[in-house]
Amino acid sequence: MDLSKYAALFLAESREHLSSCNQLLLRWEREPSATDAVGGLFRSIHTIKGMGATMGFTGVAELAHRLESLLDALRQGQVAADARTFQLLFRAVDALGVAVEAAGAGRDPAPEASLAAALDDATAGRGADAPAGGLPVLPGDDVPRRRATDRPRGRSVEVIIRSDAVMRGARAVLAVRRAEALGVVSAVRPPLLRLEREEFDGRLAFRIDSRATDEELAAVIRSAGEVVTVRFPEPLAAPAEPADRHRQIRVDLGRLDRLMKQVGELVAARNRLGVLAARFDDPTLAEQSDRISRLVSEMQAEVIAARMTPVGEVFERFPRLVRDLARDLGKRIRFEVEGEEIELDRSILDEIGDPLLHLVRNAADHGIEMPETRVHAGKPAEGRILLSATRERNSVALRVSDDGAGIDRAAIVAKTRRDAPGEPTPDALSDDLLLRLIARPGFSTAQAVSGVSGRGVGVDVAMTRVRALGGTLEIGSEAGKGTTFTIRVPLTLAIVRALLADAGGERYAVPLAYVAETVEFDARAVTALRSREAVVVREQVIPTVHLRDLVACRERPAPMRRPTVILEIGERRTALVVDALLGQQDIVVAPFDAPRGMPPYVGGATILADGAPALVLDAAALL
Amino acid sequence: MSHTVLVCDDAIFMRTMISDILTQAGFEVVGEAESGSQAVEKYRALKPDLVTMDIVMPDMGGIEAVREICRTDPEAKILMCSAMGQQALVVEAIQAGAKDFVVKPFQPSRVLEAVQRVLG
Repeated sequence: MDLSKYAALFLAESREHLSSCNQLLLRWEREPSATDAVGGLFRSIHTIKGMGATMGFTGVAELAHRLESLLDALRQGQVAADARTFQLLFRAVDALGVAVEAAGAGRDPAPEASLAAALDDATAGRGADAPAGGLPVLPGDDVPRRRATDRPRGRSVEVIIRSDAVMRGARAVLAVRRAEALGVVSAVRPPLLRLEREEFDGRLAFRIDSRATDEELAAVIRSAGEVVTVRFPEPLAAPAEPADRHRQIRVDLGRLDRLMKQVGELVAARNRLGVLAARFDDPTLAEQSDRISRLVSEMQAEVIAARMTPVGEVFERFPRLVRDLARDLGKRIRFEVEGEEIELDRSILDEIGDPLLHLVRNAADHGIEMPETRVHAGKPAEGRILLSATRERNSVALRVSDDGAGIDRAAIVAKTRRDAPGEPTPDALSDDLLLRLIARPGFSTAQAVSGVSGRGVGVDVAMTRVRALGGTLEIGSEAGKGTTFTIRVPLTLAIVRALLADAGGERYAVPLAYVAETVEFDARAVTALRSREAVVVREQVIPTVHLRDLVACRERPAPMRRPTVILEIGERRTALVVDALLGQQDIVVAPFDAPRGMPPYVGGATILADGAPALVLDAAALL
Repeated sequence: MSHTVLVCDDAIFMRTMISDILTQAGFEVVGEAESGSQAVEKYRALKPDLVTMDIVMPDMGGIEAVREICRTDPEAKILMCSAMGQQALVVEAIQAGAKDFVVKPFQPSRVLEAVQRVLG
């Protein structure tokens, strides 16, 4: 059989399992009572072992086997899960990741001898420097064989709670608890949260690894009361899931990209068709054009939905990163994540990992203080980093907050004055100016400033990447309280709803994601804000930007009545004064490959419905 | 010998009613508690075979009491008495170690079924 076609699948699935292993390890380390984590780890490693062996990757299979033996011993309580064991488990999972990648690339090295020995020692209850001899020393190969007969058997369980029972959710939890007395339970569906909220039709499914027979298990589960059925469905590749779960298939991302591109062109073609149809007074043509328009909109929504991926997929690598950083830096950091379920377009998600990485690393490295410093400042010794996602209008805000020392503004000012003596730098930095300074390329590389060294490197990279996505980066920092970086990105890149504006006869597209409202420019409401022109809109003073001035348009006089677009990013607002508003349109933005010579306020170009090109304004650059 | 029971509820009405149901079924109610901390104290003193525990009580709540009792005696047989709409709390109590639950308003047959299940 030709196995090569399964290699990609092996790689993809192994990566998923390894990532979940890291999460389970982190959770288990934090909550030693989370015994379900061990079961999950065991199964993941077991799956990787099976896949590796099937593919003929003996290096992967061998390492997975040793790791599995240790996990089994831990699960049986034969070996204690102490700090040294966790360190070894993390190391082994990392090594397994390396082995999997190597196998995927066609190499299959044998596991590192020292790691293999350490795993075997730990499995036999011999710590690295624990006195040997307490337990009989078994050759490595005997370890699994010894347990082969009494190894717990994994199986799926389905339980149905009587339909007239009260609090069926709580009853289901009770059934799970009873089952846990006989083995390790995992993959409970529906999840606990839904059970608690009574979002539950009485059907419960989970997996259990247990030595008990089906009969013993069924009896224990029934003892929870109100149980009508306990079944053990035939083992499937995946744990049994209730019927309301959608079926899923894997789709190559490249295929979705092409589909998205085609839909993008379809949207542009539809827009053109609409314009053309309007020229003919033909009801049948208009009707068909409308119909196509609706269908394309629906299709566009479906394709975008198919590309949406929860940000948790990117977030999940950070707990491990922060843990390792904290260890290396000698700090204590509690890392928390919120809003993992918020979805973003896959292509944005792929690009956002790096900027987040820089910001999270910055927070751990420069934000959070050493434990003793924190205690001295009256803070808890354990610092906190929160990575969160929230949905806003048509964008998603990703925040990295730390409760550390905050950025030392005086040091930044001093450093900037040294680096660029010609530039005027105010004594008191606003958050915006602070960001501009630390985001300057190479800000921190020139000379180390204590407490801020390295600050700029990541911010500069993050800023560039985020801007390339049509997103924005903001900072808020308070001395002693901490720093928050906020990244805002559009939900999807490919198709943007935009407001078309005219200035001096040229058309410009403003992405609607950042448009708060449009108002009439009222010359009487003009005032000044820090020597800049500003307008007062509902008692708020908003600085103005005249699109005509921006594009250096001298042709034709500006009309008397001019609409004004209020752009909004986070707390910041700008009033963009234009000649006329021409309505909304879905546009496909073509980013510029060579931005040299292009003014900063231009974010890309597009072809409008009537076939004419237009520039797309970058809202962030106007603020 | 009949099983001994500790009844915990802040309302005399509920304590009386549960005691009556259990006594009529042949159980021996050896004590009553009107707060969580009292429940913990009396559990230690009386070592009853079964505890019925209200969820919402002054001083120390029922869930906290379950946690406290199970900390010293993981085998403690505790039956939660909850009102409708407290599902999340019941789940929390189960996680804390409660062995079963009944929902108010009580039907004597349901209470006794649950008691039998808990005593196994």
